Amino acid sequence: MIKFVVFICGAVVMSFEILGSRVLAPNFGSSVFVWGSLISVFLAGLSTGYYLGGRLADRTPSSRKLSLMIFMPGILFIAFPLYSAPIADWIFMKDLGVRTSPLLASVALFLVPSVFLGIVSPYTAKLMICSLHTSGKTIGTLYALSTFGSIVGTVATSFYLITVAGTNALIMAQGVLLIVLAVTLYFMNLSCSTVQAGSNGMMNDTR
Amino acid sequence: MVKICYLLVFYCVLFPSSGFASGSSEKLLFEKNSLYQYIAVIEDTVKKERYVRNQKKEYAQGGIYVNAPEKLLYEFTQMGFVALAFMERDPQDALFVGLGAGAMPRYFSSHYPKANIDIAEIDPDMPAVARKYFHFRETDRMKVHVDDGRLFVKRARKKYDLIVLDAYQNDYIPFHLTTLEFLKEVKSRLKEEGVVVSNITSTFRNKFFDSMVMTYKKAFSNFYILKGKKSGNFIFIATAGGKIKDKSNVEAKARKIQSDRKMDIDLEDFAARYETADSYEWDRAKILTDDFAPVNLYQHQKSGAQ
Repeated sequence: MIKFVVFICGAVVMSFEILGSRVLAPNFGSSVFVWGSLISVFLAGLSTGYYLGGRLADRTPSSRKLSLMIFMPGILFIAFPLYSAPIADWIFMKDLGVRTSPLLASVALFLVPSVFLGIVSPYTAKLMICSLHTSGKTIGTLYALSTFGSIVGTVATSFYLITVAGTNALIMAQGVLLIVLAVTLYFMNLSCSTVQAGSNGMMNDTR
Repeated sequence: MVKICYLLVFYCVLFPSSGFASGSSEKLLFEKNSLYQYIAVIEDTVKKERYVRNQKKEYAQGGIYVNAPEKLLYEFTQMGFVALAFMERDPQDALFVGLGAGAMPRYFSSHYPKANIDIAEIDPDMPAVARKYFHFRETDRMKVHVDDGRLFVKRARKKYDLIVLDAYQNDYIPFHLTTLEFLKEVKSRLKEEGVVVSNITSTFRNKFFDSMVMTYKKAFSNFYILKGKKSGNFIFIATAGGKIKDKSNVEAKARKIQSDRKMDIDLEDFAARYETADSYEWDRAKILTDDFAPVNLYQHQKSGAQ
């Protein structure tokens, strides 16, 4: 299950990034500045998420808390059509220049969800590491799955999904997917101690 | 191994320009990777034509006759001026979205010297290329604005008699310049009797073409299509008023403009290709919007229309 979560979150991040370019184009064009803004903001979000996720993971990690980290961007995605156009239009009206405008719009629209999705990676790693002997393997597998998910998300979105539905519908559908994932995770209550029953007492999720 | 090396050397000596894939009569005058595209200026020394291209072998974005730069080289640029025959009076203000080699605005300004012309071109390197290789000159009445076409239209305060949309490349069509929202923004920048003309390339009838037809219909209710004879270009002409223009009127007007303005193109003949758009409509084609516009994929998909 955790592996599946990592895969899906990897896919959603990149799909959202591709769709983000469609969201920005009507107000900011599709110039190299727009792409530069978009990519750097996603990377900033992910790196912040990795950092925070690592710290959070050290404080009694639980799959319930992880589920919250996935639930939050899910909500943001579902509400996306409500706030994206007003924010983008407002920044367009301010006309801060060909570089600043798309950068600011990217920060406003894409930074927060990508922070949450970034948290997922280190957090799941901590949840899955049951033994220091195999931690390398676990982390390697999760990295690979996450990035493989990103490849699938990128290709599926740019080659196919944009022909079947509108940008907003796709983002909302991904929000639904994240929420379903989060809810499932909440009730599954996974952790090392439940996976390998009673192997150690270090991971408890009584909170 | 040595043999292969010899062969390679031999090959290179025999075909020194083989790294440059176009025909042997073509000479590369200039190339640059700009912020937005690869720009190549190529001259065909036999045909005496000069082009600007985005790939060495691709269709040209624009071009001129080297010995007659005042003429229009391409059929679609000539056909586009049929739009003038849909106007009630002489155009005073014109906007061109997409500069290319600058042939269309240059032709327009030489035949309508009193008109004010704005040109929106996204690539800051294109104006210099147009100046250096294609006899393009900015004047008090003809200005290039380096900006995305959509953003220029959105920010424009001015209204135009004529808006020419020619910012699509063969292999890359910016989707945000195809949508209903964009066309509505364009329409809002037209004067009461203003006309918009757009160059749509569709070498075979693809889904992009079908969707474009339905999107124009939605935005303008009535419009007209001229089909290129020599090329896969279609010219869409729509009026802000949306009134149906009688074919004989349009032809007569084209004849008059052609003689009054001393045009060397057969505007009347082009006008005779006039078709109302309904003959191209395919109801099941999807309207392109900011939310849904898979333009680049649709370009490669065959139309479902019969």
